[in-house]
Parts: sequence; structure tokens; C-alpha cells
Amino acid sequence: MKIEVLVLGLAVTLLAGCAQVSKVQTGDIPIRDRLIVTVEQPWNRFENPINGDRTPTWTNDGITVDALKFYVGLKDGELIAPTPTEPKGQTPLAFKSTMPTEGVVELFRTLYSRDGSTFTLEKVTPTRFLGQSGFRFEWSGVRKADEVLLRGVAWGAVHNGQLYAITYTAPRLTFFPRGINAVEKLVATAKLRQ
Amino acid sequence: MKRRQLMRWGCACFSLAASSAIASEWKAPTRFGRPESSSEEGGLWAIMDDEERKLRRSPFRLREDALSNYLNGIVCKLGGEHCKDVRVYAVRAPYFNANMAPNGMMQVWSGLLLRVENEAQLAAVLGHELGHYLQRHSLAQLRDAKSRAAIGQVMGMFGAAGALGQLAMLAGQFSYSRDQEREADEIGIQLMREAGYDPKEASKVWANLLEELRAIPENDPSKNSVLFASHPPSEDRRKTLEALALGSQGDFGTRPFREKVSPHLTMMLEDELARGRLSESIVLLTRLIGHEPSSPHYLHFRGEAYRLRNHEGDGAAALSDLTAAVQMPKVLPKTYRSLGYLHRAQGNLVPMAQAWDKYIELMPNANDIALIQQYLKEIK
Repeated sequence: MKIEVLVLGLAVTLLAGCAQVSKVQTGDIPIRDRLIVTVEQPWNRFENPINGDRTPTWTNDGITVDALKFYVGLKDGELIAPTPTEPKGQTPLAFKSTMPTEGVVELFRTLYSRDGSTFTLEKVTPTRFLGQSGFRFEWSGVRKADEVLLRGVAWGAVHNGQLYAITYTAPRLTFFPRGINAVEKLVATAKLRQ
Repeated sequence: MKRRQLMRWGCACFSLAASSAIASEWKAPTRFGRPESSSEEGGLWAIMDDEERKLRRSPFRLREDALSNYLNGIVCKLGGEHCKDVRVYAVRAPYFNANMAPNGMMQVWSGLLLRVENEAQLAAVLGHELGHYLQRHSLAQLRDAKSRAAIGQVMGMFGAAGALGQLAMLAGQFSYSRDQEREADEIGIQLMREAGYDPKEASKVWANLLEELRAIPENDPSKNSVLFASHPPSEDRRKTLEALALGSQGDFGTRPFREKVSPHLTMMLEDELARGRLSESIVLLTRLIGHEPSSPHYLHFRGEAYRLRNHEGDGAAALSDLTAAVQMPKVLPKTYRSLGYLHRAQGNLVPMAQAWDKYIELMPNANDIALIQQYLKEIK
């Protein structure tokens, strides 16, 4: 399983071509100028992910292995990911400022499963995020491209009609349990920039 | 551009060629032996054997014996003595497709099982694939192909389970010829007739799929369906299939089909909506509701599709479907949850609370109970 993950990671890295990776230093790190997280251990920042998705993404072992993504202040109508040009007929994954929690969960469900990957919602609960009412959901699934079993978790809140969310996905057996504690600690430090 | 031209040319001569073949009766070949491993065909079989080993382990394979035995049984009805050489695998993939490799591995995707209405329509697709197998079309294609990537492209035609995402692209580049498709159509109809199925159901499969794909504005179905990428559709083809089936009668097999597929229905419908192609899903579900108006599953998922799409008028349509679904004897508990979400979005707090109270009563340990309870607390 690990070999498949590594091979896929290598392939994606090659496909990404000029994608840049830089080190995230420890300390308070601003993201898109509006969100700050306190980093205790170094991460790798993936500057230009594939498929036109410009969501800030950090990783320890490569973005096809573990991916920590930051959705910062998405406005009404803004997409959580670009709509693939083919095949046609895909519903654009647009956030709406009036969207309730279940609507945001559905956006991410479709994002993860529209290529035929599976997505099983394990739990969704209200929680505090960025010092206000928000939500947390967990999911599991099988990625279609390489049949890797994944786990994911997301935290989010709608502030002034804009979506703020952090998601973390990693292979279920080794990588997710290894990384989740550090991610939980990092998310607990997330705050809006004054 | 070249492919489009070829398709147009193919459409033009398809009806004439097919009609001339109606009168002639095709004879099935005897069982194929395993080819020499050093031969071209042996090499192709070895690759497909490897893919089949992966497919057997794949988490996307539907392993339930009742479904597997049912699908293998249909192939045995159609394929006669070749049945012993064919292994059918049901695969969880929410797109309309079936395919068959030269070593006897056949894949039937869950999106196909969701879309066909009875055993006869399923047999039409499986008979068509058997037609390709019995005429060894993949080997002929391999021999015709000149490029060094030919084997990879032929593999693409069979869509290894782990590479389904790439299938459409590969099938678009390398597919059976128009003549081979016509031949497989004719054989499929003959196998249906001999097995006692009503061959008239074959043309309905294509008509239904075309209707679904036309739900997308400015859509060209030949480009946007995995199956159509390798099996070009046309009105001519539907008519030709109708002509081939003319005067024939037989079974539909609706009841056994529904019995075997229904345990997987919720999963298939969830996967269908998760594709994020809600307009197509609404057309599909409307057709399915037409055949089974009292199905709480279909009403629930069409209601969900309207609720999630949320175009003008969709709120009312969702409310109508979900309200009708909760009147059904075997209503899904999550229909109450969806109804509550819808009422909340529409500001109808009393029916919202009623729907969610029912949901909590039926599903006290559901994975979203905390969220529902939070919503209820907010209105109190």
C-alpha cells in the first residue's frame, strides 16, 4: 500500500512540473493574510497544487499522502475547488453565505467523491472554531485513483458570510493516526487576524 | 476532429449495414483455449489476468454472493458453453458501463445496475459485451494498432478497477470500430432472443441513457459518457436495435432483477448523487419513479437532488418528493432528516422540529444527531 502511495506521489510531483515546495517555519504563521495558526513543528508548504486548485496546502509526506488545507474567507459564490472542464455537467462546488453546516459538508463530500472515490461521513458535530460557533466533521473513504483507504477531518465556521475551514486527509492506517494529534493542536491555535 | 468525422461517416452507413445482417444467423464459436503465453494473445491474457487479480482484491468490488451469482447466471443464459470461461465482477462505480476482457473477466459497474430497469435490459448490455468477446474484437484491435502503447490502450478499454478515472480518456483514444460495435449489437440481440429475453428492451437502454445525458445544456453525449466514448450512440443505432428486435417477444425479468439489486440500492443512489451531476440524476430518478412510483428510495434521492441543486423551483419540488416519501410504508429514516433541513432553509420551524423529532426517534445514534440537536436547541 505504501509503495502505491509513494508511486502516486512521485507521479503527481512530476505532473506538477514547476510546483514549488517551501518550508513552513515554526511560530505564528499568517495564511492568506486573514488567518493565523501557531506552528510547533515544521511543515512543507505546497505552493502551486495541480488541477488549478490554489487552496493553501501543507504536507509532511507529500500532498497525495497527507494534506492540510486552509480555506480562508471564501465569499458567497466562491468555489472550494475548480470545476473540471470535462466531463460537462458537474455542479460547481460554490459556497453560499447562507449555507448551513450540512451544506458545507455536502460540498466537501462531492469534492472528494465526484471522481468515483467513496466518502462515508463518520460524524458531524458543532464545535468552537476561530473562537466562535462552528462545526467539525470526520469522514473515511477509498480514493479511486489508487484505492488507498483515507481518513479525513475538517473544522469550519462561517464568519461574516465567509467560509473558513481547515481540512486534513491522510491514509487511514499509518499516516492519519501519526499526524492527527499535531493537526488538532495546530487547529486549536487558529484565529482570525485582527 | 478525425474521430467525429469517422462517427458521422459510421452513422451514415450503420443502418444499411445492420439491416442487411438481420437475416443472417450468427453461430457462436467453440470455447477458447488458453493461448500460448509466448503469443501476442497470450501476452494480452497475462496482462488481463494480472488486472483480474487486482480486481478481486479491490475495495470497489461488490462481493455479495447473491449478486455475483445472479450476474454470472445471466451470462450463462446468454453465453451457453462459454459461461465456464467467464467471470463476472460487480464493481462499485457510479457510471454506466460494463466491459469484458479477452481472458473472460467481465466487469459490471453499479451505475449500470442502477440505470437498467429489468434483467432483459441488463442482458442486452452483457450480451453486447459477450459479442465483443466471442468475436475476439480486442485482439483484432490490438493487431490493427500500430503504436507501441497499443497494449496500454487495450487495457484502457477494460478499465482496471484502480484506473476507472482514466477510462473515459483511454476509451476515447482507442475503441472498438463501428463495424465491431454493429456486430456486437447483432450478436447481443441474438443471444437475448435465444435466452428468452425480449430483445426490444435493448433499444430502450440507449434511449434512456441519451435522455439522461441530454439533461446537460449543450451536451454532446458521445464525449461525456464513459460508455459512449467507446460505444457511440445515435438515434440511428436505437432504431437499428429496434429493427433487429422486430417481431420478437420474451421475458423482462423485472422481479428477479429488483430482488437482487435492491440490497445495494441505497449505496448506488448515494454514489449517484455524490457524482455532483444533479441535473442528470434528476432525469434518471424521474424515470425510475415512473416505473416504481411507490419507492421511498427514489423519492428520497430525487428530493435530495432538488434540495442540493437548489435552482429556482427546486425547493418546492424537494418538499413535494420528501413529503411524499415520508408517507410511504418503508420510508428511510434519513428522509425525515432531509425534510427537517429543507424546512429549516425555508423558515418553517414547526414542521422542521417535527421531522427531526421523528428522525431522532428512529436514529438516536446517527452520526449527525449532535448537529440536529444543536439546531433544535437554537429555536428553543
